[in-house]
Amino acid sequence: MPSCRKAPQYKALIITGQSDHNWGVSSESLKQILDETDLFSSTIIATPSKGEDMSGFKPDFSKYDLVVLDYEGDAFSETTNASLIDYVNNGGGLVAYNSESNPGAVVSDSVKISERRSFEVRTAQIDHPVTKGLPVRWLHPDDVIVQGLKPAGEDTRVLATVSLDNSYFSTGRREPVLLARNFGKGRIFITMIGTPDDKENNALHCAGFIVTLQRGAEWAVTGNVTQEAPFDFPTAAGAVLRPGFKSITYEEVFDNLGNYDIEKSTKYFTYLQSQIRNAAGNEKTLLKLEKKMVGILKNEEASDDAKKLILRELSWMGTDYCIPAIKALASDPELSDDVEFALARLK
Amino acid sequence: MTQKTTRRVFVRRSAAAAAGVFIIPNIIPASALGMGGKRPPSDRVIIGAIGTGSQGMSNLRDFLDLKDAVQFIAVCDVDSKHLAEAKETVDKANKNTDCRTYGDFREFLEKEKLDAVSIALPDHWHGIIYTEAVNKRLNVYGEKPICRTIKDGQTIVAAVKKNNIIWQTGSWQRSQAHFRRGAELVINGRIGKIKFIEVGLPDGGRGIGTPPVQEVPPEMNWEMWLGPAPEVPYRGVSHWNWRWMLDYSGGQLTDWAGHHIDIANWGAGLEHTGPVEVTGTGVYPMEGIYNVPVEYDFLCKYAGGIEMRVVNASRLEHGMGTTWYGDLGWVHTDRGNILTSSDPKILEEVIGENEIHLYKSENHWQNFVDSVRTGTQAIAPIEPAYRAISVGLLGEIAMETGQTIHWDPVNETIAGNERASRLLGRPYRKPWSLPTV
Repeated sequence: MPSCRKAPQYKALIITGQSDHNWGVSSESLKQILDETDLFSSTIIATPSKGEDMSGFKPDFSKYDLVVLDYEGDAFSETTNASLIDYVNNGGGLVAYNSESNPGAVVSDSVKISERRSFEVRTAQIDHPVTKGLPVRWLHPDDVIVQGLKPAGEDTRVLATVSLDNSYFSTGRREPVLLARNFGKGRIFITMIGTPDDKENNALHCAGFIVTLQRGAEWAVTGNVTQEAPFDFPTAAGAVLRPGFKSITYEEVFDNLGNYDIEKSTKYFTYLQSQIRNAAGNEKTLLKLEKKMVGILKNEEASDDAKKLILRELSWMGTDYCIPAIKALASDPELSDDVEFALARLK
Repeated sequence: MTQKTTRRVFVRRSAAAAAGVFIIPNIIPASALGMGGKRPPSDRVIIGAIGTGSQGMSNLRDFLDLKDAVQFIAVCDVDSKHLAEAKETVDKANKNTDCRTYGDFREFLEKEKLDAVSIALPDHWHGIIYTEAVNKRLNVYGEKPICRTIKDGQTIVAAVKKNNIIWQTGSWQRSQAHFRRGAELVINGRIGKIKFIEVGLPDGGRGIGTPPVQEVPPEMNWEMWLGPAPEVPYRGVSHWNWRWMLDYSGGQLTDWAGHHIDIANWGAGLEHTGPVEVTGTGVYPMEGIYNVPVEYDFLCKYAGGIEMRVVNASRLEHGMGTTWYGDLGWVHTDRGNILTSSDPKILEEVIGENEIHLYKSENHWQNFVDSVRTGTQAIAPIEPAYRAISVGLLGEIAMETGQTIHWDPVNETIAGNERASRLLGRPYRKPWSLPTV
């Protein structure tokens, strides 16, 4: 919540400047995604352009907790390369984004790039801090996948894969898309998804890409993940996009829930349900939610469809507090069935 | 006609006799017990079908495949296309055009004089129609899961017990040799004392978003399809895909509970009890009308110390099926004739004469027909079916409330949690109500 934002704990350096994809778009996206966690404060620097002298490119990695490579191009100078390796060896965190020649974490044999389309990502390591608690199958939209990557060594774990054979029961070859590597005292997180397309950039706005990047970055810095599994992580049922890289906020949900109609997105209602589940029986939290829900029942501007959904939830989680507001709707012919349902269950 | 009526009365009397010590009444004609030989039409079990969609038709064909064992005389469905398909299949088997059709189960149950009925409906209809059919003292072949809520299940179980009818649940895995063998090894201690059971059920599938509201096709009685469920507009989703919507089903979890949890209970001797504690989490789709959990993972603790984990198969090493873990090893069984164990020698074990021999059936539909004829219990009776789906439904409640559920498997109540207790049942939409037993 904005009111209780603390100063970000970690400084991140995003290195970009040369790539097959539009690095202007991707690096700015990475910055927004990392800074959105409130854990990171990110700075973008660009290398010299392709073919120019790289010897002057000598960032001081030691000033950062995390280095993010959004870079695929001319080799760094030997000094810079050595200093980056020292940085990770000494415990620095590194994220390698979307590069088939990422720094030592994976080696490629005969790599190919897939056509752009949607994929189902499957978790290969359900107990890793980055993936723990997240759905194990989720749809990721409109991306290109590098085929033929291999983990670099025993210290590299494949966290998630996709199959080019995208059928539900696919048993085909699986391509790694998220990897984690321990390197010296440091850690490297590699993500192979989220490639910009200079259109809607759905792959970059995929909540699965965003959340795994945020968690992977934290893991690279600390070896742990404190970020909670979000309610809007995609599932096997469907992809989820985060416009502006932001998740839905509590305030936004209750501002919009009353406008729900049966032809619209169910996401605000799904959010409400996840809040109820997460309350895990906590009376104070549930009463706070109940008051918000009763507010919608009492609001004459709110839609009948929204009230129906609210009545269904209150029917099991409501207290005496909601009963007068429910009874007040009994004479509404559109809602009388739902009122009866709720009161029958609440009694 | 007289002969048929007499025989029907006999079937019911013998079913009643089975409640106590089973006595083979001496009036049973030899042909009724002998399996084989051409049976005169008058000896066939007179049967009808309610629900003739995909599973209903599959069961109907499985019954017809038994040759001469049953005679279908009437079918009932709210979709006139399904109904016509069922009538055509039955008429072809009967070599006539006499099969009667109904769009309303109440009229079907009122008018038809049957020995048995095969019922395959969306789960939200089970509470009413199973109970009504049993209250009419019909023998029932009923699809799993036998109920959408625990309260529905309690009513159905009470009705079956009171009316002493033969009940067969569509948990046909029980009639497959490798499932029975796995369960029999486990219940006879071949993996030692059972500590832990893993049940892997399918992952949830793709969503379809929110399709536009559309006109109900002329063959469909949408109001009757919805029945006791909340009134919602038609969006082109009804047959089969109802299982992705919480108003009608609990998704793969409740769809498959009646298979692999049932087998798990069979082998562990938990068929007549339930867990005392259930806790877990689910993953729910964010968008669209398909709202069942697509992933789920919950742990059930039993009074005797056994723990059972029920989880979508992608999270498990063994994947789909049932794995029992004992202090001497494990046994895993799944569809596709899969029966494996920690030590292949376990699978070669012979079950001695004085050990537990589980009920043996080689054909689930034949077993029902034989049970109806002889008045003996079928292989998949009502209580084990209720106990299997209860595990799924309690898991559903644990996930929905985000809380540990304390269940009393004897009194069948949730302790100290009013919210969770409300989720044990669902009020029905007028004019429907759960029948009294």
